[in-house]
Amino acid sequence: MRTVILKAGATLLTVAATALSALYVTSHLKNPAAPLQPTVLSASGATTLSAPGGTLTLGPSVQPSTVHPVTSTYAS
Amino acid sequence: MPRKTVEAHHFEALGTNCSLFAVGLPPGRLLEGEFWVRRMGARLTRFSPDSELSRFNASPGTWRDVSLELESLLRESLHAFEMSSGLVNVAVLRSLEAAGYTRPMAEGQPIATELRPCPLPRLPDVLAVRSGAARLEPGAGIDLGGIAKGWMADRLRDSLGSNALANLGGDLSACGVGPAGDGWAIGLGGATVLLRDQGAATSSVRRRRWSVEHHHLIDPRTGLPARTGLEEVSVVATTGVEAEVVAKTALLAGPDVAPAYCAAHTLAWWLSP
Repeated sequence: MRTVILKAGATLLTVAATALSALYVTSHLKNPAAPLQPTVLSASGATTLSAPGGTLTLGPSVQPSTVHPVTSTYAS
Repeated sequence: MPRKTVEAHHFEALGTNCSLFAVGLPPGRLLEGEFWVRRMGARLTRFSPDSELSRFNASPGTWRDVSLELESLLRESLHAFEMSSGLVNVAVLRSLEAAGYTRPMAEGQPIATELRPCPLPRLPDVLAVRSGAARLEPGAGIDLGGIAKGWMADRLRDSLGSNALANLGGDLSACGVGPAGDGWAIGLGGATVLLRDQGAATSSVRRRRWSVEHHHLIDPRTGLPARTGLEEVSVVATTGVEAEVVAKTALLAGPDVAPAYCAAHTLAWWLSP
């Protein structure tokens, strides 16, 4: 009798843990504050500018300028 | 902040246009920079049989003594391979030769050849580096290409004082706050941005092209000139060599992956299909 009660209790516990875990996971599909999250555009404060021929995206540490450039990356 | 006078020096080397800029430095120092670029170029070119790189390529299967500079560049190349998940692979020489790129562009356009797929070997499988020596497996060949230019731009930046900019064929490296105190103004993707202690580079298949299908940027997955849906990628990164590696990786990764890759690895980026 005692064995049956122990088995039933263990089974109930397992089922309950599985059900609660499933409930928790389905209600927390994405945690925006999770660590080790890769950098994403929306989180980096990036600015996207349209330009003829492509798109230019500037992160917060790179500023645009209106002065004439001294050189460019287009030599090769 | 008053604008300071910039010393500028322009020259042709490494088969391309180079420029050095510095604030508060005598012009002679920039000339010394040109001489250093020429000396390094002569040692690292694949087009001269007497260069250190060519001699290394010509002696596979054995450990060969290499200079500190070549050792550093080979280590940087292995790092680039890992950083790019294999997309930046300097063991590209045989594919470039197979595509017809066997002489400098200044000596005439390469002859377009029939292209046959031949994926490149993994770089760590064909290149090993230890202190003062390196070993290349038979059949493999190294072309340092843009990695050498980015690496050299970073070395030049470090040697030209605290406020300088080096541009070696489109691989840029800057230090300091520039002549006006807000950074070095450079052209990137049709706009002007300010570099401060950063590097920048463009990877493009629009130049060094000798037919519709033939150009210099080899996709290591096929061994053929890349066709990924992107024609040009420019980035700003923390160093010149990193910018070079990331720009090339993004271009080879294609338009689906490039935005996320650039967002994770660069400070600014330009993507052109």
